[in-house]
Amino acid sequence: MSDQQTLRYVGKSVPRLDAFDKVTGAAEYTDDVAFGPGLLYGRVLRSPYAHALIKRIDASKALAVPGVKAVVTGKDTPGFIGLYLRDRHIFCTDRVRCVGDSVAGVIAASEEIAENAMRLIEVEYEPLPAVFDPLQAIKPDAPLIHPDLGSYHVAAFLLPKPGTNISNHFKVRKGDIDGAWTKCEVIVDEWYRTPQIQHVPLEPHIAVGRWDRSGEVTMWSSTQAPFTQRNLIAQAFGLSQGRVRVIGNLVGGGFGCKAGVTMEGLSVAMAKLVPGHPVKVRFTREEEFFCASTRQGLVAHVKLGATKDGKLLALEVEYFWDGGCYTEYGTNITRAAGYSSTGPYVVPNVKTDSYCVYTNNPSAGPMRGFGMPEIHWSIEQTIDRLAERLEIDGVELRRMNCVKTGDEIVTGMIMHPIGLTQCIDKVAEAIGWGKKAAPSAPHRKRGKGIAIMWKAPAMPHNPGSEAWLVFNDDGTLNLGVGGQELGQGAFTIAAQIAAEQLGVPLDWVRLARPIDTRYSPYEWQTVASRTTWSMGNAIRAAASDARKQILDLVAQFWDESADDLDIRDGEVISHKSERSLSLRDMVIGGLRLPGDQGFIGGPIMGRGKFMPTYVTDLDPETGQGKRAVVHYTVGAEAVELEVDTTTGQVEVVKVAAAFDVGKAVNPGLVVGQIEGGVVQGLSSALFEQLQLEKGRPLNASFVDYRIMSAMDAPKDIISEYVEVGQDDGPWGARGVGEHTMVPTAPAVANAIYDALGIRFNEMPLTAEKIYMALQEQRGAED
Amino acid sequence: MLPRPSLPPGFDYLRAASPDEVVGLLQRHGDAARLLSGGTDLFVKMRDGAVQPKVVVDVKHLPGMRDIAFDEGTGLTIGAAATMNELVRHPAVQARYTVLAEGARAVATYQVRNRATIGGNLCNCSPCADTAPALLVLRARMLVYGPGGEREVSAAEFFLGPGLSALRADEFLMSIRVPVPPNGSRGKYLKLGRNRGGDLAIASVAVLGFPSEDAPSGYLFRIALGSVAPTPIRTPLAEEVLAERALGADAFAAAAEESMKAATPIDDVRATAAYRRAMVRNLTLQGLQEVWAALQ
Amino acid sequence: MAVHSITVKVNGAEERVRVPSNMTLLRLLREELGLTGTKNGCSAGECGACTVMLNGQPVNSCMVLAVEADGAEVTTVEGLGSGDELDVIQQAFVEVGAVQCGFCTPGMLISARALLNRNPNPGEDEIREALVGNLCRCTGYKPIIAAVQRAAKMMRKR
Repeated sequence: MSDQQTLRYVGKSVPRLDAFDKVTGAAEYTDDVAFGPGLLYGRVLRSPYAHALIKRIDASKALAVPGVKAVVTGKDTPGFIGLYLRDRHIFCTDRVRCVGDSVAGVIAASEEIAENAMRLIEVEYEPLPAVFDPLQAIKPDAPLIHPDLGSYHVAAFLLPKPGTNISNHFKVRKGDIDGAWTKCEVIVDEWYRTPQIQHVPLEPHIAVGRWDRSGEVTMWSSTQAPFTQRNLIAQAFGLSQGRVRVIGNLVGGGFGCKAGVTMEGLSVAMAKLVPGHPVKVRFTREEEFFCASTRQGLVAHVKLGATKDGKLLALEVEYFWDGGCYTEYGTNITRAAGYSSTGPYVVPNVKTDSYCVYTNNPSAGPMRGFGMPEIHWSIEQTIDRLAERLEIDGVELRRMNCVKTGDEIVTGMIMHPIGLTQCIDKVAEAIGWGKKAAPSAPHRKRGKGIAIMWKAPAMPHNPGSEAWLVFNDDGTLNLGVGGQELGQGAFTIAAQIAAEQLGVPLDWVRLARPIDTRYSPYEWQTVASRTTWSMGNAIRAAASDARKQILDLVAQFWDESADDLDIRDGEVISHKSERSLSLRDMVIGGLRLPGDQGFIGGPIMGRGKFMPTYVTDLDPETGQGKRAVVHYTVGAEAVELEVDTTTGQVEVVKVAAAFDVGKAVNPGLVVGQIEGGVVQGLSSALFEQLQLEKGRPLNASFVDYRIMSAMDAPKDIISEYVEVGQDDGPWGARGVGEHTMVPTAPAVANAIYDALGIRFNEMPLTAEKIYMALQEQRGAED
Repeated sequence: MLPRPSLPPGFDYLRAASPDEVVGLLQRHGDAARLLSGGTDLFVKMRDGAVQPKVVVDVKHLPGMRDIAFDEGTGLTIGAAATMNELVRHPAVQARYTVLAEGARAVATYQVRNRATIGGNLCNCSPCADTAPALLVLRARMLVYGPGGEREVSAAEFFLGPGLSALRADEFLMSIRVPVPPNGSRGKYLKLGRNRGGDLAIASVAVLGFPSEDAPSGYLFRIALGSVAPTPIRTPLAEEVLAERALGADAFAAAAEESMKAATPIDDVRATAAYRRAMVRNLTLQGLQEVWAALQ
Repeated sequence: MAVHSITVKVNGAEERVRVPSNMTLLRLLREELGLTGTKNGCSAGECGACTVMLNGQPVNSCMVLAVEADGAEVTTVEGLGSGDELDVIQQAFVEVGAVQCGFCTPGMLISARALLNRNPNPGEDEIREALVGNLCRCTGYKPIIAAVQRAAKMMRKR
């Protein structure tokens, strides 16, 4: 068994398994799969109204177009669908709830014909009053977006309020908040806003559905969760899960927008009308911006109090989440945000109310960080404000109050070993905290800001992973997993872990892909930064299982103790007798006993699983529970930037980041997540906003939804990690994929404050916003 | 309605072999015809449904349409189908018309600049057109071909409104003639986008300055603004300040104020009018300072 | 709608195809010729995922009609390198770790290859400007820029 000192692959930056395919154009994404001459295409007619009843749909002109096979509407999709809350139909039944809502679908011989015919469908709507701001939507007299909320199927840990637009209300009541305020010597009380933004994966959403005459359903999609898609679609159509097969090809970016079912059901609903034909539905970029999933908007009210020595005492938080028109996934974000509402700090008295509110904005859901970027925007600026009022250095205040090993956190859980202080120290050092650098020109101002974070995977209590491992005669092996390769490197670390645990060369390990719910072992979802930890554990278990079978067999064969045997480089070796035996042939054909005594052994298959068994509930009134989450990943980022005061433009000079990953299974891939998350975070801080006017997006294209380009990206990103091991992670590993985007935006806001003395409570911090605020500041000074 | 997945069906692509053929097609098809140069504006509009031509006439292959030529007498002659990158790369453009090279280089991205043409940029007639401010300060002339043969339209008279050029329905732009700039001239094009690179202009400024005995200040400046009016515009009052007053920080500041006053920007999804106005002033000031430094 | 017979040399191989007027070069490559390496990210000339070389120059193939490519030479990601050998730019991307989800990668490689063709020793700012038309959401661009610099270095060694 490999010990920490002699690790061969784990802990090494081995090159990605899929790099060759991706640089040669061989990598296959869903739109690259050849489906044959029977392939049909689907296009969707979308609502122009934010809220309206559907009175009448006339598809006769569409059906008359040559090449059109069928038209599907909500009459064909009466079933509810949703992950945590079943609040939508695949096609709207009686009403539309947002601009872009799916009203009808045309299936035709080509995408072009489908598009032409789709435009001929006539729909009569009766507009309803609509609401677009969660603060308005939560009022008792607001238009009711889901009158039947009370009858929706909902996960046990969520608390919707029927008769309102509140689809979840999460509470924390900890300590004695009223008494605590009296002891606070400094209190900061602010409101913050973050808008809806979009994930902008380079690969837009796509799904191909096929409904065979036998009633078997197959769907190919770009998905982070083939098994969830199978389950949700089966449930929506009243099918057994065994009859629904989802094949998950390589994903060209997910970031959470491909975590559940957004548009994929459309392809299956269409396919049902043309049995035997695959039907491809692919989103245009414009659809991608608002018709799949966006990130929830947030209005946050944060009140934080401390003693004059800087000890945090009391926190009162109200979160009003703009969940958009369907919150089937977003409801859990509001829960996760609620139980994370202190940020990575110890605060003994907490009152939190986190509301998921329906609006007639586009349906919003999980995006990298699952509510953490949104809430840390308010938390980390509040901490900075407090530091200023207390006249305590921002880094010092954070060191003082940040959560450490053994601390009781907001839910009452005791924090496991973590290295947040080390992360803070690293970034403070790397950014030169405390040293003021001169701006590069007289019209520029320079500043530094820091922000820290925490996040736990937000999952149901029992999300499981499975893995299997089967051999070829030559000793090489096929590794079966259910986790998806989104670009984060899941397949690569899967192979590393299998090779390490089994004792074979890395290039003996081949992943069985694409992930296929018919053949692949179960994986809850590739989300929550859980894959290295959970899938990794399952793979390690499967490799251990195979290893044990092999060693027991050879031990019997050599008449030695299995404890004296090991597998190195694909050979079984004995420490005692120094004999060796290749895995080749043995792993399929067993071992032939001497003297014509026959054989022992046979084809070896390793199997393993991992599922956390220790997660407990949270009290619905207090939000307290022994262990509501599996673990936390923590980290810090510091940003140094310059503001051009003549334009308001921000240039990010340097970013320093450090995260406690427990064990970096592949350091190069960890750095990849840090660099990518930082840039996505900077982009959200400086540029991104879905500009919604009465629910209608004004900037649903790359022309007007700007994301960071190669010219915007900072020149200097210092990526570090800390390894305080996770007790139940493979070699101590925890996830890091999402966390790197969490503290970036508040670090930017704090740096801008340092540079200009201006606070911005609303994201994004565009050049215009900054410039106009500078003008106001100048005006106030005159 | 959202844009289509790809280009709509129902149009024919024709490659024109002669200028008269282009005119004939325009006359025959009227509004149902669109000329194709780079395609980077046209195809976007066709996908959006903003234009729905039945006939798309490719003019890139007309004789001389892609040529860029310079001589000391006539100056620069640019075929309307010359691409942005071809302009940027041309030695004469780099050496003698830097403000135009900068304008062309500011367009979109490298890939787009390999297709986008100067003719398309001008005839699309967006107030944001990146080559327009430079051509205004360089006093370019557009050579237009129609049923009556060739005619010239000055750059100053070419842009009539957003999407509206001086071209008549049966005319097309063949080439652009840019006279040799005055001796000793220096130019600068500044473009402000929401992010660095690839964006449309929120506000843009082209400045050309040169020594002149005709001006009390000893210098004449020409300033043109983009994205802050229905068309790209010159700023005569700002230019007057610079011609009359002793040049230095005060004169430049005063000129920048006049430049700002000349702008009539709107609020739109990209920026507010207030911000654009302020940026006109700040970019004009920066442009003047840089050109002034280069003139010393 | 008219259908045109065109001849296009794609990755060195001559292809004779019939294309409708409205077919883009991107769709010709992906749907008619089965060269699915080039990706469709926006169909609007903004993201660069569809970048190919047209007569040696990188262009957004979604903004070029197939019929416009008649008589032209096109290079896609599949045409980089030769035989079993990767092009230096592909090699550099692999070695530096400049690939995550891979969707921007084909277009990025073409833009990078074209840059090195015209400027074998680009500075960092030149690399950034050359790649501004290739959006990436995963890597943060840092390793991509490093890969181009590495490829330039490798080219100098050869």
